[in-house]
Amino acid sequence: MTLLPFALLAAGCGSKQNALSPESPSAHGIATIWWIMLAGSVLGLGVIVAILVAAWFKRGVEGADRPGTITVIALGIVTPILVLAALFAYSDIFLIRGTSPPDTRLSAPLLGVDQNYEYVHVVGHQFWWEVRYGGSLVTANEIHIPVRTHVIVYVHSNDVIHSFWVPQLNRKIDLEPDQVNRVELYADKPGRYRGQCAEFCGLQHAHMGFYVIAQPFAQFARWARAQSKPAKRFNALFDDKCGSCHAIRGTPAHAHVGPDLTHVGSRTSLAALTIPNTPAHMADWLRNTQQVKPGSKMPDLHLTDGQVRQLTRYLESLK
Amino acid sequence: MTDVAVDARARERLSLGWWGVAMLIATEAALFAMMIGSYFYLRFKNAHWPPPGVPEPKVVVPLVLLGVLMLTAFPMWRAARSATPRRWLLLALFVQSGYFAMEVSDFQDDLHHFTPQQHAYGSIYYTLLGADHGHVAVGLLLNAWLLWKLLFGMTEYRRKAIRAIAFYWYAVIVLTIVVTLTVTSPAFAR
Amino acid sequence: MTSTVAERVGRLERQWAERPGVLGWLTTTDHKRVGLLYFWTTLVFFGAGGVEALIMRSQLIKANNSLVGPEVFDQLFTVHGMTMIFWFIIPMTTGAFGNYLVPLMVGARDMAFPRMNALSFWIFVASGIFLYIGLFSGFGPDAGWFNYVPLADRHFDPSRNIEFYTLALAFNSIASTLTSANLIVTILKLRAPGMSFNRMPLFCFAFLAASFGLIFALPSLSVDLLFLYLQRNLGFHFFDAAHGGSSFLWQHLFWFFGHPEVYILIVPAFGIATEIIPAFTRRKMLAFPLVAIAELLVVFIGFGVWAHHMFATGLPSTTLVFFAGATSMVVIPSTIQVFAWTMSIYTGRPKFRTPLLFIVGFIVMFVAGGLTGIMFLAIPFDQQVTDTYFVVAHFHYIIFGAAVFPIFGGMYYWFPKVTGKLYFERPGQISFWIIFVGTNLLFFPMHIVGLLGMPRRVYTYPGDMGWTSYNLVESIGGYVTAIGILVLFANLVVSYFRGAPSGPDPWHGPTLEWSVPSPPPEYNFAVIPTVSSAYANWDSDDRERDGHRLTAGVGTLERGHEQHVSSLIDGWTAEIVDMPHASPWPILLALALSLLFAMLVITKFMFAAIFLVIVALTLLGWHGKEPQER
Repeated sequence: MTLLPFALLAAGCGSKQNALSPESPSAHGIATIWWIMLAGSVLGLGVIVAILVAAWFKRGVEGADRPGTITVIALGIVTPILVLAALFAYSDIFLIRGTSPPDTRLSAPLLGVDQNYEYVHVVGHQFWWEVRYGGSLVTANEIHIPVRTHVIVYVHSNDVIHSFWVPQLNRKIDLEPDQVNRVELYADKPGRYRGQCAEFCGLQHAHMGFYVIAQPFAQFARWARAQSKPAKRFNALFDDKCGSCHAIRGTPAHAHVGPDLTHVGSRTSLAALTIPNTPAHMADWLRNTQQVKPGSKMPDLHLTDGQVRQLTRYLESLK
Repeated sequence: MTDVAVDARARERLSLGWWGVAMLIATEAALFAMMIGSYFYLRFKNAHWPPPGVPEPKVVVPLVLLGVLMLTAFPMWRAARSATPRRWLLLALFVQSGYFAMEVSDFQDDLHHFTPQQHAYGSIYYTLLGADHGHVAVGLLLNAWLLWKLLFGMTEYRRKAIRAIAFYWYAVIVLTIVVTLTVTSPAFAR
Repeated sequence: MTSTVAERVGRLERQWAERPGVLGWLTTTDHKRVGLLYFWTTLVFFGAGGVEALIMRSQLIKANNSLVGPEVFDQLFTVHGMTMIFWFIIPMTTGAFGNYLVPLMVGARDMAFPRMNALSFWIFVASGIFLYIGLFSGFGPDAGWFNYVPLADRHFDPSRNIEFYTLALAFNSIASTLTSANLIVTILKLRAPGMSFNRMPLFCFAFLAASFGLIFALPSLSVDLLFLYLQRNLGFHFFDAAHGGSSFLWQHLFWFFGHPEVYILIVPAFGIATEIIPAFTRRKMLAFPLVAIAELLVVFIGFGVWAHHMFATGLPSTTLVFFAGATSMVVIPSTIQVFAWTMSIYTGRPKFRTPLLFIVGFIVMFVAGGLTGIMFLAIPFDQQVTDTYFVVAHFHYIIFGAAVFPIFGGMYYWFPKVTGKLYFERPGQISFWIIFVGTNLLFFPMHIVGLLGMPRRVYTYPGDMGWTSYNLVESIGGYVTAIGILVLFANLVVSYFRGAPSGPDPWHGPTLEWSVPSPPPEYNFAVIPTVSSAYANWDSDDRERDGHRLTAGVGTLERGHEQHVSSLIDGWTAEIVDMPHASPWPILLALALSLLFAMLVITKFMFAAIFLVIVALTLLGWHGKEPQER
């Protein structure tokens, strides 16, 4: 039956990026309005189908034309006006307050100071997410937030239009090159929430995912402190082969063409959730970049096996 | 053979050709409406319009030229109604060509001061004006075609054609009014 | 007396006879031949769009598949969208159904501008060849059918893929504009005596609405395309903020066209439905005036809702709420029509033959798609599911359900009129059921994967998202749909060769095309019909009177290639005009325009200017011969 798959959805099956498995007040509100609208739609479609089925049963029955204009007006004009007005009032006057971009409160980013607010800047690139906090914390493709905190994410794009979307936490918001947009993330409980770019942005739009990891405040603060520190080690091969695009704070490499790799070893995945972060996958990425993610802006580097091993060891050590 | 009698109420009806021109005018009007909308959209996205380094639009010359073009509505109207349209068409074409030549000269002069490749201001300015001048140019060709046809005498078809092309000219004149006011508007906004 | 009728008919046949052979088809201006040319050509494009869809579904049938890579996939989804909208639905409805049927329904002998009609066909074909040359040479448009900047700008899409996008669409839109102008003037001015504005068939109201929609919406797209072409090729700045432009400008101009466009897609199909329903329920449409006004209103209001495609872009809240409010208004004309159709079926005496089955399927799918459309006016919900497979489900239910189903129904309904044969009913019904099941298998699960987080326009997806089984079902649904469509066309082809003769009026249809032989003679009507209602073929008194007039030679208009022109509102006779017959100028002009556009793709502006001059000279030749004086 048509409703069964939706019921499964609500139970949280396949809940990785599931809009109907909400973990924040905004997402809850949206999910609720969805269930109401679904019920209304089933009813509405049911009425039409019922009339058509009834027509089928009385097919071929001779008789005079019966009038039906009143029904047309009652069902076709009056009822829809009432339903639409109610839907519009609830969603676009009331519910929208919870999902609209938040007002900007403070000008300075906080980073683990205030337990009620936090700020993150996300810059979209083809095909990865640059994530910046206050202070010197720069990372990529993974956003840590404290739970039950209003995290205001400022987004814009470095190149084409992208869209920042974590269904379990809130609606999507586009990343534009000529405007800074905002969206609020408020996680009810700790967890790892998957997000994905939702505006076609080129060849690897399909592989531009990110994680939002909600943690208890103390854990978040620890993470933030660790990530803000510069790298402990320097590697000359990295500097030579990768330094023209990637930064590792604490070393001479400070380019921002590609993601900041200062603590890349601590991330859950690589290449914007294309592959998990394991030494084997890291090596594969370095060896066959354009096969793993064809069209990514990182070229094939034609490294030798020895160079791949060395770089993998180095990068995995940057926790 | 007898056929359907034309209704007594049918007076001077607008020809199918006139209706065709009306459809063309409708779609071109929508085209220009979108371009003018774009002009104002871009204008309100920019704090400085024109941008620094670009001179403000001239006002006097464009408005005078506009007035001249508006006056050519009269000979076009006379041509559509007259038994001897050629003189009116010649007068109209003469003045319209003069208008067009002056506009082309102005256009080239503007290009010395700022180009469309510098900023959106120039891009929309030259595109809008260029489109308008293009429509004037087509009108000139239509008038020239009419004059050539009329060398071979007057027919019902040619009479309808003059009427339809006069309608085209009224529309182009209205269009030019709107476009000219739009591109000179930064000078008024001060 | 009978021999006099035969003489009259013979005279008409001689005057209106088409040139034989291929040359006859290349120079034809007969609206029926042009309609048929559109019909077959759009079917080829439908096939191409379908193959593109099947390849995509085969790539997405399992996770991390590598049937096609992202470059090809991106071109596939872009060209699929463009093809289905601009090279299938619009030309099939306005070009094929509109051209063939509108003159017959209003009692005319041809469209208002027969040569321009042929021209729009040849331009349409050329524009399609143009697009597919791009695709097959590896330069197919690849930034999505709405082609957002900056992705479509020179910096991010350096090759000429986007030139094929801008120029194929611009070229195509000339054809659509010409067809729309033709349909409008035909409907307004060529109606038979007595067919006042309120006595037009609902089909004509629908086509009038869609044509006005195209006239006023296409220019917005044209301006967008012009700006993009200038920015990419001549260094202009419209869309880049660094030089005073705005990426939002592309979106606003695009959607100002794009939203009316979706009503343009479905309103002609509504027109088809509003003719099939009276014929197969043997009653007049309920609330005729309401339905007629609703058909016009839905396009009109549809011009005011475009920014609901931009709810996630960061527009101010007030703007969003305004557009959501406007969108709720546009729902009402549709609900009026849905209940009018449904209650007409219920209160009539329905015969569920294949055409009516497709209309029932259309109503169900359109309501389903319309309900998800209504969900989008809850702005926060829209912002969750826009750009996901949920919206792909929504618009395919609408487009396939509300546009393609009536097209299929209309093919069956008018098959006897066009071919003179009856189609086979049993295979017809089977084809309906296979297609109905297939499309629901294909599109329904998309609602679910969209809610599960699957964005649109992705060439592959990970295996651990819970999307895989739904995608499998969708792909199977795609194959089933394809099979159903093949059964449909196989049925029509076999019926063409082996169907029983249908006679002029197998359904006792309500409109005038059923009062002439099947297929209609070149001149359509031997005598210009008199009309006193919107169901002219059901007015047997009028049809009998026409028989007498034919015998008496009144209203036969046989002195030349003659056509009756009426007044705008009341439909009384205004004049008799001489119409152009076969002509080589339309195809020649289309050829010159094609070469002009080809030069623009490769940015050879000098050559483009030369071809512009050739275009002007061709127009001169076109208007060289004048119609006969009366």
